[in-house]
Amino acid sequence: MSGGGCSVRAIWILTPHDTVAFSRRFAVVEKRWRASWEAEGVGGGEGDRLGAAAATPPQLPADYEVAAAFAERRKRFAAMPLVLQSAYSVADACRPVTIFFIAFQEGTARGSGIRTSLSSVGSDSWVDDPITRHVISLHIDKEESDGFMIWPVVLQKRGGYYVLVLPMVDPVSFRAYENLLERPDCGSSAKENGNLSSILLNLPCITGAFMVAHVIGDIITGDTAEPEVIVNSGPSVGGLLDSLTGSIGISARSKPIAAPVAAPTASVSSPVGAAQSESLKGGLRPFDKELLRNFIIGAMPFGTPQDLNYTNVTSIKTTGFSGDPLPTDQKQPAWKPYLYKGRQRILFSSLETINAALYDRDDVPDFLSVSGQVTCRAELEGLPDVSLPLTGLETAHVEVSSFHHCVQASEPTDNKQTLVFQPPLGNFVLMHYQAPCNIAPPVKGFYQLSMVSENEGAFLFKLTLMEGYKSPFTMEFCMITMPFSRRRVASYEGNPSIGTVSMTEHSIEWRIVSSGRGLSGRSIEATFPGTVKFLPRTTQRTNSSFRSVSSITYAEDSDSEQDNVKNGASLDDYIMENINKDLQAVDLEDPLSWQAYNYAKVSFKITGGTLSGLTLDPKSINIYPTVKAPAEHSMQASSGDYILWNTLGKCPTAALPREL
Amino acid sequence: MDRPPPAASLSPQEWEQLLDDFASSSPTSRRYRWLHLPLLDLAVSSLPRRDLPSHLKPLLLSLVDDHLLPPSPRSLPLLLNTLLSFPADHPLRDHLLTTVVSAFASALAAPVSRDHDAPPLAALADALLVAANRPNHAPDRAARALACDALRALDAALPGLLADALGHLYALAAAERSPAAQSYLLLLASAARHAVRLGRLASTASILAVAGPPTPFSVPAHLLSAPQHASAAPPSEVNLRDIRKVLALLMDRPQVLTPAAAMEMTSILAEIASAVLEWAPAIAAHIKVQFGGMAYSSSPMLLHSLLVLFVQFPDAFGAQDERTMASRLALAAREAHRPLPVRLLALHWLLGTGRFTNLVPGLARWFYPSIFDPLALKAKKLDCLAYVTAGIDGEKAAGGRDSEQLTGLLDDGLSCVSAFRWLPARSTETGVAFRALHKVFVGTAPHSTDDTRCGGAGELLNSTIFLHVQAILVEMASDHRGLVPVISEFTNRLLACNLHQWAGEQLLRTLDERLLPRLEPGYQLASYYPLFEKIAQNETVPQLRLIELLTKQMVSLTKDHGPDTELKSWSQGSKVVGICRVMLKHHHSSHIFLPLSHLLVLTIESFPDLEVRDHARICLRMLSCVPGKKLRHLMGVGDQPSGVSPSLPGSLFDIPSQRPAQDSKSMTDLASYIHLERIVPLVVKQSWALTLPNFSVQSRPSGYILSIQEVSSTPSEQEKPTGPTIERIGYTQETLRVMDAKGAETLQILRRYFACVPDYLHSSGLKIRIPCTFRFDSEPFKHVWGSDLPVSGSDGADELPALYAVVIAFSSSAQFGKIPSCHVPFILGEPPGSGMDIIPVDNQNREESSYCASVVIELEPREPSPGLIDVSVAANTENCQVLSGSLKPITVGIEDMFMKASVPPDTPKEGVAMYYQDLFHALWEACDSSSNIGRETFLLGRGKGSAAINGTRSVKLMEVTPKVLIGAVERYLASFLVSVAGDSLVTILRRNGVIKNIVWEASVSDASVGADALVPYSPDSNLQLQLIDDDDIRVGSGRYGSENKRDMGCMQVMIFLPPRYHLLFSMEVGCASTLVRIRTDHWPCLAYVDEYLEALIS
Repeated sequence: MSGGGCSVRAIWILTPHDTVAFSRRFAVVEKRWRASWEAEGVGGGEGDRLGAAAATPPQLPADYEVAAAFAERRKRFAAMPLVLQSAYSVADACRPVTIFFIAFQEGTARGSGIRTSLSSVGSDSWVDDPITRHVISLHIDKEESDGFMIWPVVLQKRGGYYVLVLPMVDPVSFRAYENLLERPDCGSSAKENGNLSSILLNLPCITGAFMVAHVIGDIITGDTAEPEVIVNSGPSVGGLLDSLTGSIGISARSKPIAAPVAAPTASVSSPVGAAQSESLKGGLRPFDKELLRNFIIGAMPFGTPQDLNYTNVTSIKTTGFSGDPLPTDQKQPAWKPYLYKGRQRILFSSLETINAALYDRDDVPDFLSVSGQVTCRAELEGLPDVSLPLTGLETAHVEVSSFHHCVQASEPTDNKQTLVFQPPLGNFVLMHYQAPCNIAPPVKGFYQLSMVSENEGAFLFKLTLMEGYKSPFTMEFCMITMPFSRRRVASYEGNPSIGTVSMTEHSIEWRIVSSGRGLSGRSIEATFPGTVKFLPRTTQRTNSSFRSVSSITYAEDSDSEQDNVKNGASLDDYIMENINKDLQAVDLEDPLSWQAYNYAKVSFKITGGTLSGLTLDPKSINIYPTVKAPAEHSMQASSGDYILWNTLGKCPTAALPREL
Repeated sequence: MDRPPPAASLSPQEWEQLLDDFASSSPTSRRYRWLHLPLLDLAVSSLPRRDLPSHLKPLLLSLVDDHLLPPSPRSLPLLLNTLLSFPADHPLRDHLLTTVVSAFASALAAPVSRDHDAPPLAALADALLVAANRPNHAPDRAARALACDALRALDAALPGLLADALGHLYALAAAERSPAAQSYLLLLASAARHAVRLGRLASTASILAVAGPPTPFSVPAHLLSAPQHASAAPPSEVNLRDIRKVLALLMDRPQVLTPAAAMEMTSILAEIASAVLEWAPAIAAHIKVQFGGMAYSSSPMLLHSLLVLFVQFPDAFGAQDERTMASRLALAAREAHRPLPVRLLALHWLLGTGRFTNLVPGLARWFYPSIFDPLALKAKKLDCLAYVTAGIDGEKAAGGRDSEQLTGLLDDGLSCVSAFRWLPARSTETGVAFRALHKVFVGTAPHSTDDTRCGGAGELLNSTIFLHVQAILVEMASDHRGLVPVISEFTNRLLACNLHQWAGEQLLRTLDERLLPRLEPGYQLASYYPLFEKIAQNETVPQLRLIELLTKQMVSLTKDHGPDTELKSWSQGSKVVGICRVMLKHHHSSHIFLPLSHLLVLTIESFPDLEVRDHARICLRMLSCVPGKKLRHLMGVGDQPSGVSPSLPGSLFDIPSQRPAQDSKSMTDLASYIHLERIVPLVVKQSWALTLPNFSVQSRPSGYILSIQEVSSTPSEQEKPTGPTIERIGYTQETLRVMDAKGAETLQILRRYFACVPDYLHSSGLKIRIPCTFRFDSEPFKHVWGSDLPVSGSDGADELPALYAVVIAFSSSAQFGKIPSCHVPFILGEPPGSGMDIIPVDNQNREESSYCASVVIELEPREPSPGLIDVSVAANTENCQVLSGSLKPITVGIEDMFMKASVPPDTPKEGVAMYYQDLFHALWEACDSSSNIGRETFLLGRGKGSAAINGTRSVKLMEVTPKVLIGAVERYLASFLVSVAGDSLVTILRRNGVIKNIVWEASVSDASVGADALVPYSPDSNLQLQLIDDDDIRVGSGRYGSENKRDMGCMQVMIFLPPRYHLLFSMEVGCASTLVRIRTDHWPCLAYVDEYLEALIS
């Protein structure tokens, strides 16, 4: 054991240009780390990278060394000249001699996380595990002495920046990972001793470092707003600071920006591709280093995180505790630094996101899944216990739920589970859950696209919206996007039965229900037949060799190119196949190669109920000590990845679980 | 800008500059100029300054935090004073406190020096304790919490610093109700942990006992001396009670802690509790009750903290808890709201402890990847499914599980990345899918494990899952040609692994059995070549099917060949031959001989592409000529070592050898164990060569014969000699000359003769052959090269090292023309101690020995002179190394140039001796400088060139007995002897019987004037010659002059020196000495002749 806990040796924030934007070192932790390594007598072991510096563990690398090591890792090229020539002759003037250079970028392409033929011993991808994209090793080169490795560096990419957090680990775990990096065999399994899983299990510090990196990422992207709580009557309510300012008597500031959960563009993962959405956000936004520095002093003054709640840490720092009373009889939780004073009420919001893959095929079942959260805002004085019975868990087929750390959840029994919690101040996510969609999908139907020629396609939508949804379910808006990320749309023809159509360079958008004219209490049918014309394809093979892993290695032999039309495959398949030839490999963070498919993405927002059917009864809430506080519950569902796969083309699937 | 800053204090601008320099991410050069300053002191003392802008001050503290810690202990008092004198309500106070405490904690280590470091440390701890010791004081709760954290940091750096104050800390933590309680609890926990580590529990004094108020604080004694080993004695009863009291307080309400603090707390609790668990087993149950609820938390930190406890206290958590934990982890990975790394971690935790091993299969349905899971998560879930599959497979072997379930599980899992079948082979989906297949393999047969149940090779081989994966791969390869390289890489990965090599081999065999019959010849077959190559490389896979398919392919290629498909035919044909070549290398030729030779013959006979035919021919020759094992080593040249990542489409293509061809260390001493030696040793042991820079035919074409000049165009005008040329030949128009009959006869002889001498400038000249032997010593060779030679088996010859394709190249600075290189296809090393003598080898018969090859160096001298021939050798060793380097040079002596003069073809056999004698006389005369033949030119044979004779004379007195002389002549000059005169000489020589076919002249009378008699028509010059001779004798060896009786007879020796020169000896043999009269038309050779003659008789 590493002594448990999580202590951070250093934090770096790097820009995409491989410069250090921010760094922080914790001399206290560093000293403890050195002491533990010296105590373990590191360096005597065989094959130790620490080399000559046997007795003294290596110094924490300087910023520029980290930047260089990280740049090196990102751009690690395994460039390999490949001379294609006839079998014997060294050079034959009559024959073409082709030289390719294979480029391979470990940091960004799929290379890291999966061992490929180009992975080398000692690199993270050799370990062959996706987690090594997030827990990385850095090889520090020293000019004057032997280089060394630092591990585990927890990496988060946020807002264009790379957040690197290096927690302190014991030498045993470090060496175990080093062994994994250098074992010569074909790859480890979880059944072996010293496997990566057991190393990670023994190192809570990595988990802690993740949370540190995560909150730092939130700070640098400005993503520190509290979760949204919707009020049925009136605008959204603010967060902790509002409660504070209200209770202290400072004039209320403007409402905090609530995350636009249901905006059409926001989704769990954008089908257009994470890379693009990243670039859509524009360049690198500078972040407030002062803010970050102060947060770190408050959250982890000596390198050991105490509280990673941004709002709490900053409000303690800025507000202090001038007039706040203390509870008389019990301990006030550390995550509730202030007590509420004022009119009492308690608000709940159920926010659900539905992901769907609709195929309209007999052989492939549709996939629908709801992930939801219940957010809460308890404006209650003192430290009352709130008990909230959840009913209908089994009816809603709730698969999994997890709770805020203030919650003590009973074992779910008989369709029922009771949550008891002492609510923190401000908005918080009381629980998360996963459930299937327990009513008919709000948008169903099919999308067909058939390529008439290489540059022209005919499409047809036939959709039913809100079938079976009764009031108060209201669909606030609904839009359908047909992305053609690798074609440029020249024009389209056709008129939908309802709604308006617009066109962008790479997509066609169909607004069926516009915001402001919600659809409630009735269902509608919408059809949209039409054609779309594309500009002729230009070969875009440039730079693909850099992003994708060794396109050459797998390059089809030109000899074996074959006209598939002959083989009876449809024109669609033929065109898709041609298009897919220069398809880039996606990152491991993407769920699938979106660009390989034709599909339509549906965006909508529904209020007035939950799709899972999981609801709370505000009346059954119990507060102890008893106070008279009205309880409200609001519900909202929005679309995440809600995809209509082209019925006539290829589509990705996943098997549904079967019982063993 | 680089002006060194002043030392006293820094202005705001200078601080700005300094901060900028420290923040720059360029290498440290910019920082260096500041480092001579006491930066820490300056920064700290600048804090109270009013002239410093307020935004700078926090930056100064951050500078200290990041770059100036740990400080030297000398700075500590200053830091302490700054802190103590700092206004308490200053916004920077917290930061300063953090910095100062960090400085103390990082600078000090036990033992603390009592005089220097202990007082400030005590003062700091005192100040912090004073701050902390105001429980439930509301407004400064943040400051009190920070003081607790600071004390905890000090306690961690100096273990046991607060061990004596544990009682106070307990009281404070118990009393505190504000949110700062968390800091008090953590401080108590940390101090208690160190008390436990120090072995305080064994003491009979209560750990919670307090002697007085917490302040004034003094540094405990154990920190002032060297650390002692903690006692491992069991805890005393009182302390057992006390520590339980402490634990009870710590565990009272973990809900009040933040997740981060809970993580710290659980780690400390785990340590303390396990230390006393033996005496207070109830603690574990208590832990479970208090922390078990965390399993439902959204916070990954809490989840992991609970896991730490779960692993640490196995007895506290029962089977039900195990199930709960395992399913919570499996489900956590399904929660879409969690960040991806956390979802991955949850699965890792599930697989990370053996406690879940039996539970994981039951969770299989939770591992089904969903369509919108990120690929990383799909990959990890597939890992889990593979784990389940492997587990069930083992179970099934033990008896009773449905194999369909098993294979279904894998198929279901793979379906989430099923796109890999139609996406390009480089797609991420493909990577994930094949990774999953690999995980199934290593899951079923892990590399190393305690569990002996799995891990056997046979287990996997017979397992349902292995059969199934093979079926999948065959299907994939057959339906999706694009995946073939990936499959080949996949097998490669297995083959490269020691443990799974057999799996890879089995896979190849399966592909051979099931895939190959499905494949049709045609251009599409090219997609499968990578796989074919893998099959060809593997010795365990029978090759017949492959050869058959390739034969069909060659037939098909030949048939489809047309004007448009030239390149295709070439490319595909070469690749097929390439595969054959791979096959040759890896298989015993006898196994594949028939079908492969059939394939090659077919290719040679009918394939449309010339180069492919050529290669096939080479392959066939190798197949039929070189024995298998050697062949394989030989062909290993240029191949990659069988490493783990031969990522390239393979050795279908020649890839330049990755081994450095020149291993300079081992090359330098090649000459010491590889020998090229002359068969016939030189008479002249030490050789030297007369170097005449301009004396070269090539370099002075104009000075010679007109016709030659016209023809040879290459030499440039600048190279024309400016110095004196020795041979001045009148090539201008012939003047009228008076010629007597004898002279005419001489001319005629010479004309006839020269017509037989090849015109070396226009056609190839006469060649000199120097037979040599080539051999090398086994032992030193092995020593240098053979460390990795495979130990071979049966026959003794195999134990000797061998060289292949030895190319011996020659070069020389002497005028030997272009010397063709020699080739030795194969040679074995000379066994040690065999005592091989040099075997005289006839040129024609090269197969003398397999240890020793005969090599003939062929020279085409442009000028007869001795010289050195530099020898360089290049060869392949058995283990594919290329050996090259130079050997000892070969010495060429003048005697190597000796040839018999050519005889016109129309000369009758019995007339040869006569002809030689006539020629001797004619040349003898022509080489007389006074001869009027000197202006004559003679046309050379078969060419336009002609020669002129410009003679020189010399004499040499050899003080030897006739016996020695005759012996030497018989040995070395027999074939050049033209005539012998003089009774006694004739008698001796005839009796010896060595000399044959010459003119024997009995007349002794001639002998005394032998030389003169040759030139009866120029008595003057003859006389003159004699005078000179006599002078020489007189001067050189006066004492012999009187008794010099050259009475035995005279021998005439005529030597042809290529390309067209001659050396004539007339040896007047006497009893005590022999006078050799020498004439030559190539004066430089006289320089060597003298030495040669000396050597003859020595």
